[in-house]
Amino acid sequence: MKTPFTAKDAKEKQKRKGSFAYLCVLGGLAFFSVSSQADDVLHLYIWNNYISDQTAQRFEDACHCRLKQDYYSDNEEMLAKLDAGAVGYDILVPTGNAVEALIRRNALRPLDKTRLPDIKNIKPEYRNAWYDPGNRYSVPYAYTVTLLGYNATKLKELNLPTDTWALIFEPKYLEKLKGRVTVLNSQRELMGAAMIYLGYDIQDKDPAKWEQAKELLIRAKPYWATFSNSTYIKDLAIGNIWVAHGYSNDMYRAQQDALAARRPFAIGFATPKEGAVLAVDNFVLHRAGPRPDLAQRFMEFMLDGQNAADVSNLIGAGNPNGAAIPHIRPDIAGNPAIFPPPSEAKRLQMIRDFDAKSRRTLSRMWTEVKVK
Amino acid sequence: MPRQFWLWAASLGVYAFLYVPLAVVVLFSFNDSALNAAWVGFTTDWYVKLTRNEDMLGAALNSLLIALTASTVATVLGTMAGIAMHRYRPKLLPFMVITPVAMPEILLGVSLLLFFRQVLDLTLGLFSIVVAHITFSIGFVAIIIRARLAGMDESIFEAARDLGATPWQTFRRVTLPLILPGVVAGFLMSFTLSIDDFVITFFVAGVGVTTLPLQIYSMIKVAVTPEVNAVSTLLMTLTLSMILLASRFAPDVLKGKA
Amino acid sequence: MRGCSFVTRLPTTEGRLTKWAVSAPPFVFLTAFFLLPFLIVVAASFRYPGEFGGLASLLPLLGAPGKDAGLTLETYRFFFGDLTYAEIFARSFFVAGLTTLICILMAYPVALLIARSPKKRRDLMVLLVILPFASNLLIRVYAWIIILGPLNLLYTPYAVVIGMVYVHLPFMVLPLYTNLEKHDPALLEAAQDLGANGWTRFWRITFPLSLPGIFSGSALVFIPVLGMFAIPELLGGTGDILVDNLIKEQFLDNRDWPLGSMLSIMLTLAVLALAGLAAWAARSRRGGA
Repeated sequence: MKTPFTAKDAKEKQKRKGSFAYLCVLGGLAFFSVSSQADDVLHLYIWNNYISDQTAQRFEDACHCRLKQDYYSDNEEMLAKLDAGAVGYDILVPTGNAVEALIRRNALRPLDKTRLPDIKNIKPEYRNAWYDPGNRYSVPYAYTVTLLGYNATKLKELNLPTDTWALIFEPKYLEKLKGRVTVLNSQRELMGAAMIYLGYDIQDKDPAKWEQAKELLIRAKPYWATFSNSTYIKDLAIGNIWVAHGYSNDMYRAQQDALAARRPFAIGFATPKEGAVLAVDNFVLHRAGPRPDLAQRFMEFMLDGQNAADVSNLIGAGNPNGAAIPHIRPDIAGNPAIFPPPSEAKRLQMIRDFDAKSRRTLSRMWTEVKVK
Repeated sequence: MPRQFWLWAASLGVYAFLYVPLAVVVLFSFNDSALNAAWVGFTTDWYVKLTRNEDMLGAALNSLLIALTASTVATVLGTMAGIAMHRYRPKLLPFMVITPVAMPEILLGVSLLLFFRQVLDLTLGLFSIVVAHITFSIGFVAIIIRARLAGMDESIFEAARDLGATPWQTFRRVTLPLILPGVVAGFLMSFTLSIDDFVITFFVAGVGVTTLPLQIYSMIKVAVTPEVNAVSTLLMTLTLSMILLASRFAPDVLKGKA
Repeated sequence: MRGCSFVTRLPTTEGRLTKWAVSAPPFVFLTAFFLLPFLIVVAASFRYPGEFGGLASLLPLLGAPGKDAGLTLETYRFFFGDLTYAEIFARSFFVAGLTTLICILMAYPVALLIARSPKKRRDLMVLLVILPFASNLLIRVYAWIIILGPLNLLYTPYAVVIGMVYVHLPFMVLPLYTNLEKHDPALLEAAQDLGANGWTRFWRITFPLSLPGIFSGSALVFIPVLGMFAIPELLGGTGDILVDNLIKEQFLDNRDWPLGSMLSIMLTLAVLALAGLAAWAARSRRGGA
């Protein structure tokens, strides 16, 4: 054993420890005081990749404030975090069914329409949605279609169809794609895709039909590489993954990334012919948000045609803002996977939350899918 | 001797296994490609971007503050527990001290999440993280202190007592200097555990409060650019320097740990 | 006030006071933040999921038909009603065991080499082993994402095992090395003089003496593997999720807290059972040796 420290060393160490502890306390107090200062910051809880850097910068310049974004990749994740008591967000960007859930929980602050004159820009078919009649709480921002993105070059090589859900559900196609397919890690989205493929309505509550969908998923699961909510963008662009179940704007990004990196293949994406899930994402005000004034300013800013067009131009999302259309690049505005034409639109369905009991049954089924 | 050769070969293989992945991370932090797949060219852009990344810097600050606070409190409580366990042989305390160390982290995270939300209706945030970290660190410190005390000659304490020292004096002037290497080791261990903790923090962190591991996790899942590599390289360099410093000032800490 | 009486357990008031002063603070803290939460998990497993997630209330709501509340065995029925859940536990324990075994095989040469090296080099070698551990866990996992991608091993069970081994290897090296360092070289010399060859010397002297080190290392690897969901999540494929992933999903994705709580309890019981088994095996082996 090493000889014990001399008394002087011991005193030194003790003093050091003491001052260390003292510094901790000071640091802690300083930190807490700093963080409780009212800063001109607008907090967004939003899907990743939903506001371009340029748009954010323009808003910050216009309002002389700062925009801070936290990301979620699934409505469920956002709702779970809010349930866990998260506060501090001014604006959330929930999809329709999540808007309904938030309204039911009394978690939203009603909008002050007098501060949102440009709300008239929203196309009539997106106003008065089933989840928020009269737009009392929400302003639609963008919409995406949940579809299949794929490595066009590879699929052509393998002689595989690109316009049907069978691509990710039927073993006869999956065999050629083993380990190269990813699907969304989302109960409603994946079960929904299965229901649509089987020809059912995604809101159908018949347990027998759900069992069918569940079996379909379990049968296909061994061929899938993994469940992924966002890493598929990179995987597609790199070429690891050849087919991904995901959102149209993410597929657009993967496409552009692959082009920019000069990969030897092209990424394509298309809405399957059987139909798909449409998700309309909206800006809402969280009741506990500290800066509703800034939040409303932000909403008004984003309702302007030019600013609203950004989300389409830079990210490839669909746009419910009529004034934005002239500002959107034609190759994007004309892409049927991003802006579904009316003929396609009738095959798109929006997710609506179930009652508690059905939710639990579905949850348990989802666990089964994960485990079996 | 041939056996020495095999030993060396196998060991070098293991060392290589340990270091090659880290080398890849460091290398790719200088890669001029956002895709992080193939080597394109050399750049230090990602490090520059990092300095402007407020989320990362905020997370680093949080991690540091949490680690300092948690390890200080855990060292104090753990030392007390270690001494109590050695001297008084209580029945319940060892169980409560050691089980958080022995069970899978996810259990601790889950139970604290439920406790904070259901019972205390507490908003998760810095406080919940600090408490969680203290809970699992106490055990480590206590075990180290108890081990240290177990090897000691009891007569020195009796001598102090016979000379008329009060318990407090005995502690301050005899016990503490003797267990000090253990205390320092426990502090360093708690600090490292806290800074590195992911699983438990994941459950009890509120929204808007990130620690470095959580931030890296979200970066890996969401925006996998070489910025992650840059952070990793910087962190490794920082921890390397800290360990080098620690090994210079307290060289037998490494041995006292296990 | 902090102070300790180190003399005897004399029941003096001063002695008793000190005893309480020393034992109370950690005891209280741990009761509040460990014992209580654990009991809450147990209780939670017997409740219904809440309307919006979380837990439903304990008292059955009067006049609110169709809403589940109160205590129930529903989660347990769900779990025990299907053997596949037992399967995922078995799979998790298998991965943990495999990881431990591989760690032992990889750690042994390194620990042996360090223990046999001259003192000056030893500290450096130990440092080199700990160093990767000093970088963040997720960084180390991320490194493997980069490497395994081009190798087509990503999202496979091999990736999960590689990741688990990589992350836990230093935990096996350290206890093993600490044990091996204490071995008396005279024993080996004596054996050599008696004519034993290298392998015999190792297998009959070094290895048995190192068993305590192996055991502590195994504990330090096996249990954390069971609690680490990040690795199967980031490196594994659809069929590779382990119990901890399932638990995490219940809390953060499914919002089914009762099921998550129940799975956590099952995991704890399984670990305790295994620990008990190992302790019993060690005792009986020692008794027979």
